[in-house]
Amino acid sequence: MATFLQKNALWVVISFIAGFVLLEACRPEDPGPGPNPTPGDLEYIAYDPQTYVIPKPTFFPEIPIPADNPMTKDGVQLGRRLFYDPILSADSTMSCSSCHLPEGSFTDNKKFSIGIDGIAGKRNSMSLLNVAYVTDGFFWDGRAATLEKQALAPVEDPIELHNSWDNVVKKLKLHPTYPQLFRKAFGIKDREEITKELAAKAIAQFERILISSGNSKYDRFVNGDVDAFDEEEIDGKLMFFDEGAPYNLPDAQCFHCHGGVTLTGGKFFNNGLDSVGNLSEFKDLGRFLVTGIEFDKGKFRATTMRNIALTAPYMHDGRFQTLEEVIEQYHDNGFGVVNEGAFLNQIGFPNGNGTYSGLTEYQKKAIVKFLHTLTDTDFINNQDIQNPF
Amino acid sequence: MKKYSLFLTILSLLFVLSCKDKNDGPSTDFSITFSALYGAETLEKNKDYTFNGFPIFVESCRMYLSDIRLINADREVIISDVEYLDFTPENAVSASPTIVFKNVPEGDYTSIRLGYGVSPVLNAKKPSNFPAGSPLAIENDYWAGWKSYIFSVLDGKADPDNNGTKNLSFSYHCGSDAVYKTVEFFTPIKVQAGAFTQAAITFDMKEFLTNDDGTPYDMVNNPATSNDAGNVVVAQALTAHWGRATKVSQ
Repeated sequence: MATFLQKNALWVVISFIAGFVLLEACRPEDPGPGPNPTPGDLEYIAYDPQTYVIPKPTFFPEIPIPADNPMTKDGVQLGRRLFYDPILSADSTMSCSSCHLPEGSFTDNKKFSIGIDGIAGKRNSMSLLNVAYVTDGFFWDGRAATLEKQALAPVEDPIELHNSWDNVVKKLKLHPTYPQLFRKAFGIKDREEITKELAAKAIAQFERILISSGNSKYDRFVNGDVDAFDEEEIDGKLMFFDEGAPYNLPDAQCFHCHGGVTLTGGKFFNNGLDSVGNLSEFKDLGRFLVTGIEFDKGKFRATTMRNIALTAPYMHDGRFQTLEEVIEQYHDNGFGVVNEGAFLNQIGFPNGNGTYSGLTEYQKKAIVKFLHTLTDTDFINNQDIQNPF
Repeated sequence: MKKYSLFLTILSLLFVLSCKDKNDGPSTDFSITFSALYGAETLEKNKDYTFNGFPIFVESCRMYLSDIRLINADREVIISDVEYLDFTPENAVSASPTIVFKNVPEGDYTSIRLGYGVSPVLNAKKPSNFPAGSPLAIENDYWAGWKSYIFSVLDGKADPDNNGTKNLSFSYHCGSDAVYKTVEFFTPIKVQAGAFTQAAITFDMKEFLTNDDGTPYDMVNNPATSNDAGNVVVAQALTAHWGRATKVSQ
C-alpha cells in the first residue's frame, strides 16, 4: 500500500482535489450577492431554534419576554453581531456599541454621544443594564414602547448612525454571512425575507441578556454576606432605602425613584435640575414630547443605580461629572418648580411642619460610598456580551 | 356479589357527590371598573383640587386590592387574589381600569369584600416569587424596608399658605401587614350572563383624606407616612378611611 501511494502520489492528490470539487458542486447553491436570489436559497440550512434561557440572579424577577420575539440562542448571537457591527451605520464606522460600551455598563461615558457626521446628540447615552425589565418606555423620554421599537431608531437618526433601514437591509441581504444567521435565528427561507423588524428583534434579544450578575458588593451584602459592607456603606444603604429610622439615620428618599431589585422603577420625573419660570422654559421638554401632558415637561426616566459609578457623566444632559455633584444637587431640594418630584424636599429628618433637616456631610459621603457598592464588574466582563468580532 | 355491587354503588355515589362543588353551575365573565375620584370628579394627575381650604394636586395614585370576594348566604366566591390599580399611569392624566374576572358563578350576591393592600399570605412573598406580568412582580411597589408591598400610594403637592406656591409635598405610602384592612360592602350584586356582567367601584381620595368626624386630615403636620416599619400611625389612620371612601354600585 505504501509503495502504491509513493508511486502514485500525484494521482492521489489530484483525485482528492477532484472529489472535493465535485462534492462542493453538489452542495445546495448559496446564490451569494446576486440581484435575484433564488427563492428558498437558505432552506438548505437547518432551522432548529434552541431556547435561550437568560442567566439571571435567583433573586431577580422573571424577565418579561414578548410572545412575538422568543429568546433563541441563534437570535441572541445574531443580535450580538448586529449590535457590534458598524454595518448599521451609513459609512460603516459606528455601531450600537459605539455609544454603549460594556466597560461603561453600556454607556459611552461622554456628555453627549457623537454620531457618524461628527454631530453631538442632545442627550446622554443610557445604560442598557437590565433594560429587559423596563416597562414604561425606552429612551430618556420613553418614546419607544418596546425594546424592538427602540432598536429601530438609532439607525435612521441623523445625529447617530444616519443610515436608512432600506440600505441596511440591502447590505445584510448581500452579506456573505448574515443571511445564514437570519435563517438560523428566524427560519427565513431566503435572504429576501430579511427585514428591519427581524434585525431589531435580534438586537432586542441580545439586549435582554444584559442582566446583572448578582455578584456586586451590594448583592453579596443583601444576600447574607454581612462582612461585605463597612459601617459607612451600611449607613449609606439605610439612608438610600429610607430604612435608617431605627438607627437614627435620616431618609435620603432615593429608592422611591430608584427602587426594586434593578434599582429603577423606570418612571419619569422632574428631579429638580433647572429653575424655570414656567414649564415651557425647559430647554429639553423630555417626556412631554411623548405624552403631550403639560406636567411632563422637563421629566426624564429614572436610570438604574446599578453600575452607576461606571456611567458618568450623569443626568439626561450629562451635566454632572461625579456622584458627589449628583448628591449635592438632590440635597438642594430643587427649585420649587411645580412638577418636581414630591420627595425632593423630604430629604432628612422631618421637622414636623412639612420641612426636613437635610443630610450631614458624612451622610452624603456614605450614600456615595454605598452607590459604589453597586458596581458589578462580573457583568461588564461577561464574555457572552462582549464584541464578537 | 350483591353486597359487593351495593358497596360499589354507594362508593360511586359518594364519589360523584363529593365532586359536586357548591359553586358548580353557570358562570360568566364579570367586569368591575375601578375609578379614583376627588369629590364628585374623576381624579386627574396634576389638576388642582381644594382640600381644607387650600389647593392641592395629586401626582400618583395607585393601590393593591386583594382577596376580592362576592358573598351571599350560600357562599363566598373569591373572584381575585390580587389586583393592581394605577389611576395615574405614566402616559395619561387619569385611568379607570376595568378588570374582567373570569368564570364568576352566577347568582345574587348581597355583598362584596375588598382587601386594601396585599393579604398577609401574599405579602410574605417578594416580586421575584411571581412570574413576569403578575401584579405582584412589580418591583417598584415592594419595599424591602417594610418587607411588604406598598399597598397604596397617594403623592402630591399642596399650598397650605395659599400663597400660590405648592411648597408642601405629601406622600402617603401605606404598607405592611399591620396596615392591611378588609371591608365588606353590603351592596347587592347580581351576576348573570348576558344581563348582569358589570359593576363599578370608586375610591374618593377626598374622603381618604378626611377623618371620620368630618375634619380634614392634618396634612401639614403629617405630610408623609413614616418610613419606620414600626411606626404605622399615619398609614393606619388613612387606611381606616377606605371604607368611607369606597362606593360600590351596579
